[in-house]
Amino acid sequence: MRCTISRWMISRAEDTGKKLPGPVERHLRRCGACGEFARTATTLSSRLRTGRSAWLAEVPDFAVEIGPEPAPRPEGEAGTHAARRSWLALRPLPVAAAALVFAAGALVLFQLVLKEPAPTAEDRASAMAALRAITSAPAEFQGVVGQAESPLDKERRVLENSFSSAVEYLQARLNIRIERREPRAKAS
Amino acid sequence: MTETIAEKTDEELAREARAGSRRSFDELARRYKRRLFVYLRPRLGSDEDAEDLVQETFLKLYRNIGGYDPAFKFSTWLYTSASRLAIDAFRRRAAERVAKVAETDIDVPDPSAGPEIGSGAAEIWEAARALGGDRFRVLWLRYGEDLSVEEIAAVLGRTRLAVRVLLHRARTSLAGRLGPDLRQMPEAAAAGPAGRD
Repeated sequence: MRCTISRWMISRAEDTGKKLPGPVERHLRRCGACGEFARTATTLSSRLRTGRSAWLAEVPDFAVEIGPEPAPRPEGEAGTHAARRSWLALRPLPVAAAALVFAAGALVLFQLVLKEPAPTAEDRASAMAALRAITSAPAEFQGVVGQAESPLDKERRVLENSFSSAVEYLQARLNIRIERREPRAKAS
Repeated sequence: MTETIAEKTDEELAREARAGSRRSFDELARRYKRRLFVYLRPRLGSDEDAEDLVQETFLKLYRNIGGYDPAFKFSTWLYTSASRLAIDAFRRRAAERVAKVAETDIDVPDPSAGPEIGSGAAEIWEAARALGGDRFRVLWLRYGEDLSVEEIAAVLGRTRLAVRVLLHRARTSLAGRLGPDLRQMPEAAAAGPAGRD
């Protein structure tokens, strides 16, 4: 367990550049395996750093073709979107004031230029005439009503005929006389 | 005194590329293409796939160079983009492989297998690559690219603690593999220049 912790501390010292704690240094003096690990870690780092160029030299060379791409943005334009976002985020008051001024300007423009003038008396009169023409009943409206009534008359006639037949049958069968009484005229 | 393009830092070149300099971008591509290749190679099935992905990464970077923030290291930005593209490519290939295996009973290439490249000073990196996956990647970013733990965490989308654990495990595994041979390996200084390719 102590060796595991010591080796972890050796690795940590290698990565962070911090000095080894006293107990670990004392352990390294006593433990041969951990002392060997510390020496190996140091050797490994230097060998890896120095062996890099030799290893890369053995990698076969190859071409990197970028092709005719559009030219990148000039220095001033670089990161414009990010810059705009941060500007908005850092200056909320000026942005709000600018928005208010813009809205007020738009309102004034609407009132002065874009809004339509109020209707005159003549306009109102012509509009009313047009409305009346639309809402008045057409000339043939009565004829239409009359046509709607005719089926009712026909129905009444059929009923009267049926009733008369029934009365005649009853007179003949029962040997009686049934008289029709005209409805009394309404009192004026 | 004017600075030649080879003397400029990656960040200076990236700033110039962002301003529209194709030459600066080409120089960045020249500096990083092999480094990106060795980083991506173990994750993909072949050298050709790795080269294609390097190509694709630089094309994407060139299109999005306007989004580069000079406050950050260029290498962090490059490796982050490359890692995302590699994940996409790996998923695509995995799906294709599954479809292919379903159709025909062929051998699937081992993604950890790489090209046969040398020995000597480079041997330690061969052994590191054999660790495969995340262990190789953290070692490469830490010692191949000199990125800090925070930068590696940003590239891999992990926490700093996770990166430190990965580095510790990678070192332990590598030390276990190499054992006493480690000290007998030739120094790379004798094998070639330590400068960036």
